[in-house]
Amino acid sequence: MCIDEALLSTYLDGELKEPYKSQTEEHLSHCAACRARLEKLKALGQLLEADSIDEVELSRAKEKTAGILEGKFFVEGGKKPSFLRRRIEMGLGSMVTAAAGLVVVFIGGFVLFGSSRAQTSEIIPSYTVNADSANVHFVSSPQQGLDAYSLEEILSYLDSRGYNVDISLKGVQPIGQ
Amino acid sequence: MEIRSTDREGFRLVYGKCYPVLVKICYHITYDMDVAEDLVQEAFERFYLKNMGFPSEDDAKYWLIRVAKNLALNHVRRSKREGAMVDKVKAAAVTKPSAGHDGERLLMEGETVKEVRAAIKALPENLRMVIILKEYGHLDYKAIGRVLGISEGNVKIRVHRARKKLEESLSGDEGYVY
Repeated sequence: MCIDEALLSTYLDGELKEPYKSQTEEHLSHCAACRARLEKLKALGQLLEADSIDEVELSRAKEKTAGILEGKFFVEGGKKPSFLRRRIEMGLGSMVTAAAGLVVVFIGGFVLFGSSRAQTSEIIPSYTVNADSANVHFVSSPQQGLDAYSLEEILSYLDSRGYNVDISLKGVQPIGQ
Repeated sequence: MEIRSTDREGFRLVYGKCYPVLVKICYHITYDMDVAEDLVQEAFERFYLKNMGFPSEDDAKYWLIRVAKNLALNHVRRSKREGAMVDKVKAAAVTKPSAGHDGERLLMEGETVKEVRAAIKALPENLRMVIILKEYGHLDYKAIGRVLGISEGNVKIRVHRARKKLEESLSGDEGYVY
């Protein structure tokens, strides 16, 4: 019986344990079909290797990054980079979320703390606005508007002041004219 | 040997050992050398700033691979999301020949590399990551299992399945296989 594909793949990676390893080798020594399958697997590995990074390029990158990291962390008398100097990466989505969050906190702060004198002075002791609900008054009140009077009252008031006001409904003519 | 990430000697030791593996893994997830370099630098910065202790070099290595791999995956996801925008910009810009080492190599081995990449990209993510760690990171099954949080047996099966799928999608051109 020939070797299972999975076993062959494990053998190729050198991870097959005894006694399976020697059994597999023994089988491979006389089975050309399995040898061909193993070769095919090896060829696949070489094919994948075609897409690999140039070693020169790799060591250049290694030196470069080593320099950057050494400068950041291990320069004599150097300090750890502060929070502000660290690179902060953010996607568009999280940026929008963060901005919205800030707006909510800002407005929420005013709603919660801005109207109360006691709490404002607690947060900013040196600056307190004298503007809580006790000493804020509405400038206009519904009692003083025209809405408070009936049409007859307005007419008689205007009449008493000498205005001759004629009131008619638009589009409706008195009968007989 | 215990490794402390802020200790100069420990950091250098781990850096020397892990840098090539990390870049290779990030490169084969993002397919962009500049991005891979940036991500690996970021991984080492996190390594230092976390100020962690590791029972062994291997543990530090697994931690770094996990972080770098996740950074790379996030980068790919993000650039996919913003892909439409980037495509617009690229279309507007004058098409210039791919520059540098990458471009030259692509010209030489262009077709093979293209096919290999297409085959790898076509793999489902759980198989793709295992094969990248195996073939490009040259990690053993135990290490892959530790990095991905799966059992060695599971790694073995995934490597096998990934190879089978790669053989299928690449065997269209027999000339490359033999």
